[in-house]
Amino acid sequence: MSKIDENQIRRRLKTLSQIEPTSEATDRAMERVRAALVGKQQKRGSKGTRVWPLMKSPIAKLAAAAVLMIGLGYAVGRLSAPAPDMDQLRSALETSLKSSLAEEMNRRWQPVFAAGCVQLKNELRQQVRRDLTEFADQILAASGTLTEQRLIQLIELIEATRARDRRQVAAAFETIEFSRLQDKSQLGKDLVALAARTDKLLDTKEN
Amino acid sequence: MKNGHGKLLELLEKSGAALYALLTRLTLREDVAEELMQELFIKLSNSSELDKVKNLGAYARRAAINLAFDWRRSQKRNVLGLDRLNEPASNEKSPLAKLVQKEELQEILNAIEQINTPAREVFVMRYIQQESYDDIAEQLGKTPHQARALCSRAMSNLRNILGSNNSGLSGKETYNVED
Repeated sequence: MSKIDENQIRRRLKTLSQIEPTSEATDRAMERVRAALVGKQQKRGSKGTRVWPLMKSPIAKLAAAAVLMIGLGYAVGRLSAPAPDMDQLRSALETSLKSSLAEEMNRRWQPVFAAGCVQLKNELRQQVRRDLTEFADQILAASGTLTEQRLIQLIELIEATRARDRRQVAAAFETIEFSRLQDKSQLGKDLVALAARTDKLLDTKEN
Repeated sequence: MKNGHGKLLELLEKSGAALYALLTRLTLREDVAEELMQELFIKLSNSSELDKVKNLGAYARRAAINLAFDWRRSQKRNVLGLDRLNEPASNEKSPLAKLVQKEELQEILNAIEQINTPAREVFVMRYIQQESYDDIAEQLGKTPHQARALCSRAMSNLRNILGSNNSGLSGKETYNVED
């Protein structure tokens, strides 16, 4: 490595000190650390509060004793009572459950069914509207195509008729022209014959 | 009185950005700085002595500097090539200029790594964080004169290190994060 002076070192250190991370990177790093710290704290919290130290207070001891006494009383009462008629109990329970369940079902499901029915109606209406619109579009498209075909056929028919008429007129003109030419030729011949006869007649008279 | 967790959250809000910038300057990589930042706070939160620390900011900064130089040392063991480094956040320059600058910065950081720990902290605060001697002295519980002397000695050491042929690739010292 080459010898380096203090100015160069200071220049490099200044460059180093001017390096700044982007604000996005800073935010991301801080957010990550924050999440890690919060997560760690929550994990610590979720390990649960310790119950045993709470039990050391006299109020807690009294409460525990009261719970114990109530439990004991319940157990004694339960054991000393006569055994219940299980069939009767079951039938009573079934009847009670059935009636309460039926009421609960009615209460809960009726609005749901009503809401479902309205929703179903709306959906059906929308579906029918969509189908009708689609059908109308198809019909319109089909009728447009048919009309176009009919118009094309009509135009072709008109053109054919006009061509036929034109041909017939042309034939008529040809016939007339032919007759005219025939008449002209005949007239010429007749005039020549007439001239010849006239000459003959004049010669006869002179003689 | 706040618990350790509250203190750390407060430290994050107050000095998080500065610590992240410091880590970025010492590692020249934003992604590594992000990792080290998280490691720093995790170590601080695991520290049992956190409540005894008087100046948490200074403590965290020292830990951050040590973490960054530990990382640099571990990278040298992995034979870090310059081409594996991300671009430092430098001004717009030609690729060659950037490469040269990056090499220079690596060189100076490698040299700083070899300065002893107390002087290194003062040196980093003064020259990389651009803090005044008064602020450094206040944060470290020293007089400005002592801070100045430490810096001066560190600069002299640095010049010697950079002037000699072994540019600190041996990594002779190892400092652990104080927790």
